[in-house]
Amino acid sequence: MKPSPPKYALNFLRWFCREDYLEELEGDLIEVFEMQWETSPGRARRNFNYQVIRHLHPEFIKPITSENNLINRAMFQNHFKVAWRHIFNKKLYSFINISGLGVGMACCMLIIMYVKHELSYDKYHQNLDNIYRVLHAYKSFEEKGKPTSPEEFQVWGCAPAGPALLNDFPEVKSYFRFTSPSNMLFEYEDKRFQEDNMVFADSNAFDMFSWKFLAGDPQTALDEPFTIVLTEKIAQKYFGAEDPIGKLIKIEENEVLKVTGVMENVPANSHFTFEGLISMSTFKRFRPEIFDWWGYVDFYTYFTLNDNASIVSLKSKVPEFVEKYTGNWEDSGYDIAFEPMADAYLHSVAGRQPGETGSLQNLYIFSSIAVFILLIACINFINLSTSRSLERAKEVGIRKVVGAYRQTLMGQFLSEFILLALFAAVLAVLLVVLFSPILQDLTGKPISYQNLLEWETIVYLLSGIVIIGILAGIYPATLLVGFQPAKVLKGTFKSSGSGAALRKGLVIFQFSLSIALMVGTAVVFSQLQYLRNHDLGFDQEQMLIVDFGWDGRVQEQIETIKNTILDHPNVLSIAASRAVPGNFLPNAGTTIEGPDGEMVSYGPTIYEIDQDFIPNYKIEMAAGRAFSRDFPNDTAQSLILNEAAAKMWGYHNPEDMIGKRFDQWGKSGMVIGVVKNFNYQSLHNKVEPLSLRFEPYSMRKFSIRVKSENIPATLSDLEKTWAALVPHRPFIYSFLDETFNKQYKADVRFGQLFSVFAGIAILIACLGLFGLTAYTTSQRTKEIGVRKVLGASVGSIVTLLSAGFIKLFIIALLISIPVSWYVMNRWLEGFAYQVGVGVEIYFVAGFMALVIALLTISWQSLKAAFANPVKSLRSE
Amino acid sequence: MKSATLGEFEELVLLTVAAQHDQAYGVSILESLEEQLDRKISISAVHVALKRMDEKGFVKSRFGGITKDRGGRRKKFYVITAMGKSMLDEQYALRTRIYQQIPKISFS
Repeated sequence: MKPSPPKYALNFLRWFCREDYLEELEGDLIEVFEMQWETSPGRARRNFNYQVIRHLHPEFIKPITSENNLINRAMFQNHFKVAWRHIFNKKLYSFINISGLGVGMACCMLIIMYVKHELSYDKYHQNLDNIYRVLHAYKSFEEKGKPTSPEEFQVWGCAPAGPALLNDFPEVKSYFRFTSPSNMLFEYEDKRFQEDNMVFADSNAFDMFSWKFLAGDPQTALDEPFTIVLTEKIAQKYFGAEDPIGKLIKIEENEVLKVTGVMENVPANSHFTFEGLISMSTFKRFRPEIFDWWGYVDFYTYFTLNDNASIVSLKSKVPEFVEKYTGNWEDSGYDIAFEPMADAYLHSVAGRQPGETGSLQNLYIFSSIAVFILLIACINFINLSTSRSLERAKEVGIRKVVGAYRQTLMGQFLSEFILLALFAAVLAVLLVVLFSPILQDLTGKPISYQNLLEWETIVYLLSGIVIIGILAGIYPATLLVGFQPAKVLKGTFKSSGSGAALRKGLVIFQFSLSIALMVGTAVVFSQLQYLRNHDLGFDQEQMLIVDFGWDGRVQEQIETIKNTILDHPNVLSIAASRAVPGNFLPNAGTTIEGPDGEMVSYGPTIYEIDQDFIPNYKIEMAAGRAFSRDFPNDTAQSLILNEAAAKMWGYHNPEDMIGKRFDQWGKSGMVIGVVKNFNYQSLHNKVEPLSLRFEPYSMRKFSIRVKSENIPATLSDLEKTWAALVPHRPFIYSFLDETFNKQYKADVRFGQLFSVFAGIAILIACLGLFGLTAYTTSQRTKEIGVRKVLGASVGSIVTLLSAGFIKLFIIALLISIPVSWYVMNRWLEGFAYQVGVGVEIYFVAGFMALVIALLTISWQSLKAAFANPVKSLRSE
Repeated sequence: MKSATLGEFEELVLLTVAAQHDQAYGVSILESLEEQLDRKISISAVHVALKRMDEKGFVKSRFGGITKDRGGRRKKFYVITAMGKSMLDEQYALRTRIYQQIPKISFS
């Protein structure tokens, strides 16, 4: 039997090869194949395939312009011409189609840019996949040894965990720690600023993370004590054009740091940022004792694994590890867990993050909005094209009679729609370039359209155009191609009724989405309003906060300073504290006598305040008394708790807790009071158990309540007073209500972004509705004319034209209610204090959507109703 | 008219066509060249050369009869044209002329 060469290769050859050459080439190839077959069949087949491919040579390939293709080209030109004419003849419809689709595509691109930015966090670190971070949990004694839930962990933890991991586990290659940012007074020559974002860091920072080093030696920069690596921005601020390396910066008036390196500013897409790294050995000089203190929390720990080591095997050894180091703890429980750094920005649920975290949920919400907007725009396209298919029925009929194939017709319409999509894309690109600065403002992130200037995106864009063109065009095209020429040309073909049901369905779909988005906007805004107006349990108005950063000299003469400031006529009251509402607070193991007389320990939050804090903030007492100058022992022996803490210790009536014994952080004495719960943190969280202690040497901030009139003058007076009292400290002030509300920055941004995109979605839906009513009304001009002649009023005609729509609208409303209710409740779950999603929100949103929709329709229906019937009836 | 040129590989193929007078077709040329040059040659290269020379008018072709071999495909036989022959002559003369200009140098 003769061997046969590979069939596919042969067919391929027949497909591309010129027919007059084919026989010879095929013959020669087969002959060579048959010869080689004798020695090695496998090689013969492979060689045959290879040789066929080698024949892909211009000499042998069929000419592109054969006679057949010549017609195709002419047809293509004709299609293009017809499409072009059609677009320009029907300017209104083309405008609606192109602008709707263009705006939709632009929104989509903007959202993609945002999502891409959010997904790009930390991706610039080359080691990213091998970096893990340590999560710590500080639990009460009762919880010790029990499994810890992911939410209980926090990223902020102790110093010795990192070295212990390296020491105990061969899997761990290296660890890196940095502290939470300290506020420090920096001084170089005449420049003196308080720097808020300086951290102490281990010396291997630049081995683990991929920040670019601009000057100095990254390997040794942080080895020595009293060395600092500055970011470009800070180096610029202090040294300008000078070379920063080797310069000395005075910090906190008594220590001197040597600049040993300059690095790039930490990229915006990093889950933590800083403006300078001070060597960890410096911190060790300041506070050597905390470096083996498992209970002292101030460090973020990251580590890398050796090649082939697995995090799973490490995880299994955790219980043993925890037992070894903290098994002897008698008053609290510690636990540890690991998290890949790649999860830090979007996936982490741990508390006390070193920087802002993103929200995966929001990314999903925005991505769905992007899809919705595009869908709404495509639906406009489908609705307008199908409803107007009748206009092109004749054209289809003639083309078919003359001999057009189904495929050619299909191709014609699809390419016409793709051409429209192309116009839309051009518009979209222009819009993106125009509006990306606004997106930057809205998101607060440096998102530039320049990120889109990559080959990849251009390919995506082009394929997107084709896909959208096909998606939006496939149904109208099928409908058009399906017309029967005989019927169409005879003139008995009246309406494209088959599309009507679908059209109604799509309008319902569009409006369900629009109403849902409107409800979403309403819920987001009422929630934000609710947060702003919620009674926090303290008075945040007119509260001026002055930060002096634990300055020892201020702490020493704190009472004098307070009294001097209080002398100002516009100052109502003043207090000092370690933190103000909205700031981070530490937790500490605290033992208090329970209702049955036994000592019980938990780890409530600690708030260090002075005697004036509670009256100054107008926090109400639930029982007992506040700290007072009349009781000099308050600094040493007194503790105040909040209602949540009282409840945790088992006291249903706060009164019962007064006089109970306590033991906390080297202090012991009696509980003297219980304050009513106040929201010392954002309303995302419930009020946690809190203990307030009077600690004169832990003070960092003054809270000054000022009169509302003439604030600028008060400020400048206070600044002068401050300069006289504390000449070495800059006067750094802020207003509490502003800083407290900054905690909702991310929520406000979400609200703004959401409402902008929701608004655009509704706008596009209305645009489509406008086009649709314009068309249906024009179809009924005669009918309206006849009705008017017979005596119909304007009102009845408008009702006639709108009634159908209102029916659709009600169905859409009914569909959107459960969907939006579910989604928005999920969103609200992120807040401990939520506004209810009530009927009124649906009422308002539904009513607004209806008004907008009716306004859109009424433009056309009123025009039709007011038109002179003579005009519409005269022409026959 | 721009005079047609002859590439190096084309020249070899043309020589083979001339040598195998009237019996030259793709595979026979391929085999002969592989034997003479002692290296592997791709059949597509031979085909390209043949088609180019056909266009330039150095060879002409005719189909042979149908046989059972080659899956029933006819062979296409090539013959050198007068123009092809004169081209070969010219090339040969040119080379000889230049070769003779080489001075007698010893390469020892």
